Amino acid sequence: MTTSAYKMKEVDTKKALFTIFTGICKGCGLCMEKCPAKTLVWSKTLGVYGTPAVEPKDAEGCTGCGMCATVCPDCAILIERKK
Amino acid sequence: MSKVPNMPKSWREETKPHKFCPGCGHGLILKALGEAIDELGIQDRVVFGCDIGCSLLSWDFFNVDAVQTHHGRTTPVMTGIKRARPDRICIAYMGDGGGYAIGSGHLVNAAARNEKLTVILANNCNYGMTGGQMAPTSLPHMKTETTPYGRDPEVTGYPTQGPEMVAAITRESAYVARGTVANVRQLKNYIKKALQNQIDGTGFSFVEALSGCPTNWSTNAKDTWAFIEKGMTEYFKVGEIKDPAKKEA
Ligand SMILES: Cc1ncc(C[n+]2csc(CCOP(=O)(O)OP(=O)(O)O)c2C)c(N)n1
Ligand code: SF4
Ligand code: SF4
Ligand code: SF4
Repeated sequence: MTTSAYKMKEVDTKKALFTIFTGICKGCGLCMEKCPAKTLVWSKTLGVYGTPAVEPKDAEGCTGCGMCATVCPDCAILIERKK
Repeated sequence: MSKVPNMPKSWREETKPHKFCPGCGHGLILKALGEAIDELGIQDRVVFGCDIGCSLLSWDFFNVDAVQTHHGRTTPVMTGIKRARPDRICIAYMGDGGGYAIGSGHLVNAAARNEKLTVILANNCNYGMTGGQMAPTSLPHMKTETTPYGRDPEVTGYPTQGPEMVAAITRESAYVARGTVANVRQLKNYIKKALQNQIDGTGFSFVEALSGCPTNWSTNAKDTWAFIEKGMTEYFKVGEIKDPAKKEA
């Protein structure tokens, strides 16, 4: 077992802690299109190929539904819902 | 402890990010497969075979024994492994060029012989690895590298309906379905049922997955989803075509 040391960025929103593993994100944008809340935007932080990663635009929009994580072909998003 | 991405347990983490292009459907199919392997608890028994084409980029994708074979030959190679070691769960993974063109004879005959293995085929409407040439699955009027004016069905025929073909030549004990990367949960369930059919020794199992190839389609994320969910899904019907479990119920 290797312990992962992927670069990452956390965005604390009201309903969930959104983590983007920028060391895996390829900036394909598939997640953005599928986010029901349309809350994902291109990040200033770059992904593994030097293209923008993604993040929620503010603390309000994200519902913590997890759709973005489901459709990411690279498993670059982790959603931890708040109770 | 540092935070870890939520990858299927059977994925080999040190080979990630994987080798597929940004937004490639192969990653989603292999995510569904990884979750299916995890949920069935069969990781230590799986042998994974990948073809030539972009599917080969998965040779080190999972923490399982793997073999990469010549174009379209993954099905007979996995047949051999299954016959020598029936206790293994053998998965042949390939593209539409490998399965429906160059290796179609292998697929047809393994299905006809009701080999107890699972074939998973990524249908992305083109030959991905070699640069987007027309495949048997390219849609009518679809522009590809070799059909710059669009595929003319009068000249090159209509797209191959793979699962329908496999269903027509297999026995009642075969499991046959078509899923899509636009519904990963459903795709995972189809793959699980296909693997269960092999685990139970019931018969052949085949799952085609509608998949995206944004690099050769030259599509952005919006158009990639649109091509999969509209263009492809209109022509290739998603659903289970043959399910032995349903027969018994
Ligand atoms: C017998 C043989 N013919 C042709 C090739 C060249 N070739 C390599 S990859 C490829 C295309 C693969 O396309 P597909 O099976 O649809 O998989 P994809 O890359 O789209 O996932 C071809 C034709 C080969 N390697 N072997
Ligand atoms: S789907 Fe995954 S890899 Fe693609 S942009 Fe979103 S987080 Fe990044
Ligand atoms: S968890 Fe749901 S609402 Fe939040 S960013 Fe992802 S898809 Fe959008
Ligand atoms: S060429 Fe197409 S099928 Fe191959 S890795 Fe890239 S997007 Fe995927």
